[in-house]
Amino acid sequence: MTALIRYQAALLARSQRWLAPLLLYAAVLAVGVQGGQPVLGSLGVAAAALLPVTAWAVHLCVGQEPPAARTVASAAVGPRRVHLAALLTATCCAAVLAVVTTAVVLLVSSPVTDDGARAVSRPSAALAGLLAALCCVLLGAAVGALSSRPVLVRRGWSVAAAVLGSLLALVTTGSPARYAVTDLVTGSRTGTFQPPVLPSLGAAVLAGAVAFLVCRIAARRG
Amino acid sequence: MGHRYGLGGRWVLRGVDLALPARALVRVEGGNGAGKSTLLRLLAGIDAPAEGQITGRPARRGYVPERFPAALPLTATGYLVHLGRIHGLRTAEAKRRAGEWLIRFGAAEHARTPLAELSKGTSQKVAVAQALLAAPDLLVLDEAWTGLDTAARAELDRAVAERVAAGATVVFVDHDPRRLAGAAGLTLRTGGGGVRTVTASAATGPTSGPQVLIEVVGPPGAVLPADLPGDPIRERQAEEYTGAGPHPGSGSGPVRLTVPAPYSDALLGALLTARPPWHIRQVVPEEAPAQAAAPAPGTSPEAAVEVSEAP
Repeated sequence: MTALIRYQAALLARSQRWLAPLLLYAAVLAVGVQGGQPVLGSLGVAAAALLPVTAWAVHLCVGQEPPAARTVASAAVGPRRVHLAALLTATCCAAVLAVVTTAVVLLVSSPVTDDGARAVSRPSAALAGLLAALCCVLLGAAVGALSSRPVLVRRGWSVAAAVLGSLLALVTTGSPARYAVTDLVTGSRTGTFQPPVLPSLGAAVLAGAVAFLVCRIAARRG
Repeated sequence: MGHRYGLGGRWVLRGVDLALPARALVRVEGGNGAGKSTLLRLLAGIDAPAEGQITGRPARRGYVPERFPAALPLTATGYLVHLGRIHGLRTAEAKRRAGEWLIRFGAAEHARTPLAELSKGTSQKVAVAQALLAAPDLLVLDEAWTGLDTAARAELDRAVAERVAAGATVVFVDHDPRRLAGAAGLTLRTGGGGVRTVTASAATGPTSGPQVLIEVVGPPGAVLPADLPGDPIRERQAEEYTGAGPHPGSGSGPVRLTVPAPYSDALLGALLTARPPWHIRQVVPEEAPAQAAAPAPGTSPEAAVEVSEAP
């Protein structure tokens, strides 16, 4: 699996296709996160924006190999592992991005609530922000996996499903991502917040189930 | 075992039940759209059959597609090293073997060329090299010779013979009936949704291609190894001691072995590395074979790949 992930990561890094989602994310952060703003609200924006970016990254990794190269790798280790490696590569890249942006947001933001009345502890804000970001990464990976090959092959449907899926994952009641982000935003207003452990676990279970399903379909359809 | 593409698709193959032996060269024949490529993809494990199952595939598998226009942002060597690692090799070993195979196929000067800039033929050489890199026990070639130059085609013939001699199952499709003629131990024909085993005499094209005659002398009392590559036809010559030259006055006369040409190197290697080694007296290519090559049956009864009807 390590070799497959190295291969996928090398393809992604050299293809330069990662630049577009990264620029989108940077643009969202430039608008949504300003130096000196309350830390929890900024962490919420950073986490929420990661969801569509991760879905985009999954689309890139799943589709970056030409069919001939994919069949060759599938014959060597089986199509399930090849597909899983693509999903893992995208998720790991997004997770690294999540850690970096959480660190940057913590450094530039001010550790206070929205009204500036109460202080927010930086370590607990860091933990809550990191878990919320992870939650969004996992859900974004699930959305990306369900909206790309082998589930949706046509490009137009694929993009539309990813955009719609990301939006729904952020606003639907009961979605772990909505829960985690809302917790940060309300925490920024009230000053009381909990690290979103349960939503993260829920997102992990959901992403695992989606990966299992999608890899099974990949084995069936090549 | 059966397969169709999509839930409402036409059954390309249905009710296929066959076992492929280890240490065998298997030719797959059939017209366009008869399901040759589908059968190969199922055997290689790229697609799972829609019904039934395929069991007993060896761990190391190689597949060469007909066309390999891989527009990947990697150099030829870079790609091969990645693939070698995916096959389970260490980086240094993968790099060494990648260099070796590129030299064997005459693509050494393109080792550092990005895959996207390679010609069609050179891309195909890279595709062939990645499959042979890991010394697979199941090698599946879907018209892998297409696009290769003459020298590379002959080299691929020899590489296939080497793999078979090493105990691998090699399954191939090629539209040229002379491809590895006389060397295939088993011929399958797809058509009408099924797969039939064809006897050597009923297969299309000549059953025997170019042959090589190798004359060998063994140490006194030595017997030829049983499983020689290519299952050569053996003819023991009468004792021809003349008194001149350093001829060992033994009871073992020279033996003439006739094998399909692609197997000659593998056979020579096996004879020279046998314990005790055999002495090679002469090697003569025979373009027009005197006798038809009858593949020796039952060389290895154990099945390497088994395709069954059971769900």
